[in-house]
Amino acid sequence: MNQGSRELQVWLDDLLAEIEQVEMRRKRERRMRLDVDADALPTLLELLKGKASYVHLSAITCVDWIAEGEFELIYHVWSYETQSLISAHTRIPREPGRYLSVYDLYKPAAFFERDIYEMFGVYFEGSPFMEKFILTEWDGPPPMRKDFDSEAYINQFFNWQEYRPDWLKELEAQGGGIAIPPDEQRYSRRED
Amino acid sequence: MKELPVRTEGAFAKRTNPLAHVFDEFVRFCRSHSLFMLHYCTGCGAIELPPAMTSRFDMERLGIQPMVTPRQADILLVTGYVSVKTLKRIILTYEQMPAPKYVIGICSCTVNGGMYWQSYATAKVLADYLPVDLYIAGCMPRPEAVVSGMRKLMGLIKTGKAESWKDYYRRYDHYLGNQQALFGERWQTPTDVLGEAQQYGLHGPETEGEHTALLQQVQQPLIPHRMRLK
Repeated sequence: MNQGSRELQVWLDDLLAEIEQVEMRRKRERRMRLDVDADALPTLLELLKGKASYVHLSAITCVDWIAEGEFELIYHVWSYETQSLISAHTRIPREPGRYLSVYDLYKPAAFFERDIYEMFGVYFEGSPFMEKFILTEWDGPPPMRKDFDSEAYINQFFNWQEYRPDWLKELEAQGGGIAIPPDEQRYSRRED
Repeated sequence: MKELPVRTEGAFAKRTNPLAHVFDEFVRFCRSHSLFMLHYCTGCGAIELPPAMTSRFDMERLGIQPMVTPRQADILLVTGYVSVKTLKRIILTYEQMPAPKYVIGICSCTVNGGMYWQSYATAKVLADYLPVDLYIAGCMPRPEAVVSGMRKLMGLIKTGKAESWKDYYRRYDHYLGNQQALFGERWQTPTDVLGEAQQYGLHGPETEGEHTALLQQVQQPLIPHRMRLK
């Protein structure tokens, strides 16, 4: 990290510390986590892009916090000037699951938003293309939501063939085989 | 005359005329030693094929060569997990291949979904949608296993046991039913499988049924694609 980017980073830390809505945590020298309200996030990204040259939107991540009824959206932006990555976290309510697009700031956002809309069903207003993307032949619910029961779906649509070779029987006789049954692993199949 | 033991089955019957099937056997021998292999690389198992084909394990010494087009290929290798979208392309590819054709399912995923058994996006049992001659299990099978599987297939062809492609025509209704259950009722391919079954003389009682009737109802005639320059 050169002198210029170090100065920029100090300046940016001071600036972000003054904004009330932003909670800042510097994890390492080149990684920063910002937690911000949903209505302030586009403004924050605009500030980061315009004033600190965070011009590269690497990815938008979506996390389904089903117990809290929220989606978490994480915008990863990179700056070539300060040579650091900022992850801007925000939370939106799970219902109705709509949010603003940042396509006017970052053109690659269209790609990520289309993907998230397909996998999680979060609609981004103002995003240019919201048609089917990868799952072009899929008409079920968004499959990466936590309440989508993948196992019930496959039992409905797919068959199984008997495959119990001798070596597997030997393993099971010794107490091996599947260690954790899938019922205990999947959220959608939990009893409580 | 009834007292005389008359043997019509078994080794004795085969030995009556040693030259009876000599031409068939010759054809099968030639077939098994000149296989063109179309590897439709669906999953991770495809990575084991380049070493199997090239100088280290050298599949060509068995007479097996890679082929770029399904129209000239004998073997369809399905190497790994098959997503539902890919399965459509595999069926299109398979139906374009000229008979006799053989399907080999490589890796555990083609047997029962493998490590993707819980995935909504991958087809589990390949044999539901295509007749599979041989499985090479493993995750992934090493080139030795691939070569040994190929040798096994050659043996099956030589003895006339690798005839699953006939099963596709004889029980087309069954396969089409599984395809329709997965892809929806409007599923159709450009190949006229029923016509081919007539052509090969394999049109049996299970070739047509309710699923082929549904296919004939929804089938759209093929129209040539218009070429456009943007």
